[in-house]
Amino acid sequence: MAEAEERNAVDSGSAWTDELLSPSELFSVRTRDHKIPTRGQKEFLYDGSEEQVERLQWSLGEHWKLLSEERAERQGSLVKAEWKPEDVTVELKTPAGKFWQTMGYADEGKQFLQPEEALFLMECGSVEVFYRDLPLSIQEGYELLLGDKTISLLEYLVFSHLKRLGYIVNRFDSSAVPSVYERRLNLVHKREKQSKQQRKRKRSASARRSDDISEGQPDSQDVQNRREKAGDDVFMEGTSSDSQKAVGMNYFSSSAISSEDVCHELPSNSEQKRPDWWEKKSEEAPSPGRPVYFKQSAGKRDLNKVLFPNLGRDCLHTNLEIPNACLLPSNVTAKACNISSWREKLNMRQMRLTRREREELEKKNKYKRGVNEDKEVRACKNWQEYKQLLERRSQSSSEQRPAHLWNDAVCPLVTPGQVSSTGDLLQQISIMQASHLVDDAVGLVADTCDKRITFDVYQADTAFDFKKSDPGKPYSRISVCSFEDPVPSLHTLKRLAQQSGDVPVTFAVVDNGDISFYSFKDFWLPTDVWQ
Amino acid sequence: MATEEPSKDEKGGVKFDLEKETELRFEVDSGDKVQLELLSGLAEIYGSELNRNKKYTFESGCKIAVFTWQGCSVQLTGKTEVAYVSRDTPMLLYLNTHAALEQMRQQAEKENERGPRVMVCGPMDVGKSTLCRLLLNYAVRLGRRPTLVELDVGQGNIAIPGTMGALCIERPADVEEGFSVQAPLIYHFGSTTPGTNIKLYNKITSRLAEVFNQRCDMNHKACVSGCVINTCGWVKGSGYQALVHTASAFEVDVVIVLDQERLYNELKRDLPFFVRTVLLPKSGGVVERSKDYRRESRDEKIREYFYGFRGGFFPHAFDVRFADVRIYKIGAPTIPDSCLPLGMSQEDNQLKLVPVTPGRDLVHHLLSVSTADSPDENIIETSVAGFIVVTNVDTEHQVFTVLSPAPRPLPKNILLIMDIRFMDLK
Repeated sequence: MAEAEERNAVDSGSAWTDELLSPSELFSVRTRDHKIPTRGQKEFLYDGSEEQVERLQWSLGEHWKLLSEERAERQGSLVKAEWKPEDVTVELKTPAGKFWQTMGYADEGKQFLQPEEALFLMECGSVEVFYRDLPLSIQEGYELLLGDKTISLLEYLVFSHLKRLGYIVNRFDSSAVPSVYERRLNLVHKREKQSKQQRKRKRSASARRSDDISEGQPDSQDVQNRREKAGDDVFMEGTSSDSQKAVGMNYFSSSAISSEDVCHELPSNSEQKRPDWWEKKSEEAPSPGRPVYFKQSAGKRDLNKVLFPNLGRDCLHTNLEIPNACLLPSNVTAKACNISSWREKLNMRQMRLTRREREELEKKNKYKRGVNEDKEVRACKNWQEYKQLLERRSQSSSEQRPAHLWNDAVCPLVTPGQVSSTGDLLQQISIMQASHLVDDAVGLVADTCDKRITFDVYQADTAFDFKKSDPGKPYSRISVCSFEDPVPSLHTLKRLAQQSGDVPVTFAVVDNGDISFYSFKDFWLPTDVWQ
Repeated sequence: MATEEPSKDEKGGVKFDLEKETELRFEVDSGDKVQLELLSGLAEIYGSELNRNKKYTFESGCKIAVFTWQGCSVQLTGKTEVAYVSRDTPMLLYLNTHAALEQMRQQAEKENERGPRVMVCGPMDVGKSTLCRLLLNYAVRLGRRPTLVELDVGQGNIAIPGTMGALCIERPADVEEGFSVQAPLIYHFGSTTPGTNIKLYNKITSRLAEVFNQRCDMNHKACVSGCVINTCGWVKGSGYQALVHTASAFEVDVVIVLDQERLYNELKRDLPFFVRTVLLPKSGGVVERSKDYRRESRDEKIREYFYGFRGGFFPHAFDVRFADVRIYKIGAPTIPDSCLPLGMSQEDNQLKLVPVTPGRDLVHHLLSVSTADSPDENIIETSVAGFIVVTNVDTEHQVFTVLSPAPRPLPKNILLIMDIRFMDLK
């Protein structure tokens, strides 16, 4: 009981007995050599010779022969499916085969295939797709399943190429990619869980929705889709509030952890508890409008009246009076005395100086002027004013530089003394900042290029433990271009790279039947200095 | 000098009768203990009053001075290296200094101003730390809450050597133990001399001043009480520059120079006139400490951190995996100037954070546990939570054993390595 795949819709109307194969026919079909003919060297230039024409004719004939070849499959091993153009999906009618491990999705208890998956499986001879109760031929499959609402022929070529090589290929869903913000907040895990549920419920819708956003062309959607979208929005809203809740919980749990951390904080033996007295308010009730204390107010108090005992030669005051009792701790009684006798007991500790130190010291004593000989310094009443004065001076010294360099509109990038290291200098004089693929494409000319990421690709060797509900991080993401297209602009590159997040974007360039893959790599210019 | 004749009693104790304003100085013999008891009158040790009929024990190597304002009699039991009574003490000068500071505090209180900030400086072995303790004790006995700022990285009076920090003083120092160390603010410096990384030293000084200013902003009492800054004994070259920097960072009101007239003149020259710079004598009782003695006392300080005063604490030992922590050293190794890029000076490397790969050479090194969560934070200016010492490194299993004051796990995973080593032998 075998059925030829390659036939017209008109033929399918005839009696099924016509399609019965005789045993000998069946045998020849099943044992046929399935090898694709080798294409040999590509002909680049028409040289007008008979030989070339013949060669071309021959390979064209081979091609047609290959296409017209009938393939026979067991009816029982064919999975039946139905094309639903209103949902742009293919629903399985009989239980799925092994391909279900990496393809298709389930929704409300039904199994579905993406159109490109269905077409690929049709070509493989594992699925038979019906439309209006009639089976589709491969040609019809190409016509119906590929198009504006699904994916283009180019994209399908890339899809089938990768599938044949064994890769697992899924539609790219930009909503599943965590944003930079989410990645920074470490919400990725949460997000993955969420998207898992989402995928189970309605994958195609969300995928298409994201495509919509990236393309900005809502006109391709029909009413049905819009309704779906509205429902989807409600769903998304629900999940977003869910995720907010999750964030909130995360926040609380993390704060709980941090408070635990505080408890665990190493109480060094002698500092068993850590009452934060650095921040602790004073025990006294603060009087309202009290000034900032650590600022010395100018000259309000006359501290010069406070007498310190001083043995300096410049201090003539040698008689110490009895200190006021209120200044002394209890049980301390003092008397007046003369301190001049202590002068002889100074400099008891001998200073050991090297010759160089001594010379330096002598030089200093000879030439260095005291800061207080300066009139401006004498005018300062406290540290604030003194520091301001010093700052003013250091600024004015920097102003004494060649006027012809700095007074024009165009002036040097670096002022002397502004930078302290080569790294700083490099930073100052670099006019163009280094840009990276994932940086924002701000300032770049936006183009109308409608390039998008179409597929997520997972490596072939993960197939045995691949889970559709939790695919993990893709190996790469594919954007499909035609050979005739211009090279994507920097803006497009950045946009796609940003959309893709931390997964590299590969560009599949289709040149008729040949597919080549290109990717753009980010790199840092080496800076060979201490930063 | 000694005027009072000590009289021996039957239990082998020696009784001293002190006159008004005299001082009993004694040193405890090595490997021995001395008990001190106040029999009558009033006496104090560095500003902390003694309780009558309480026995104070001093361990070997201690150098103590018991001062009395009114006169008293004390009894010493045990073997002392020297013990004599001196009449010749600068205590009256110190007391007058305190009185002047207290006057400033009262004025500050009246006018809602900030209290006096005092920097104590001078060469090594002139009694800087003792004077700080005295001034703080007197202030706190009058109900003030002064702050001790410890910039002497060689001694580490607050935590351990190799650190700088600040401590709020809330009660007079214990006669035996010193100030009670609760909730100090400690920064990692990593070496026992500021000369190894003077830029880092100045940076931390500025940071301490900043934090102290914040505290003054919040706490009225602390603001009025001011602070006492203890500095290093290094007063030449960069050490002197560091002193000037400290004065400017803390905006000090009073600078007390002990013993050295040269330093006094220099500071008079380089600090603005509104800073009160005074010269005071050192006490005759101050003893010069040898290098060995300094090293031993540093070791003792670290031991006390882990094992407590007189072994009151029991530290924990546990393994830490290399992968669980990140160890850094502050300051890149110095390179010859000829190897540097043009126009770059050595100093730029001094504040760099250099990752250290754990290895055998980590053994016995002290590590500070930074309170920073990630290396992106300004680790240099982040205070430390505590210290651990590496007792063993197992490169095969990628773990090292540490001695820690708290049980595992480590509170944070960023560790800063010190040059200082500590052998856990006793």
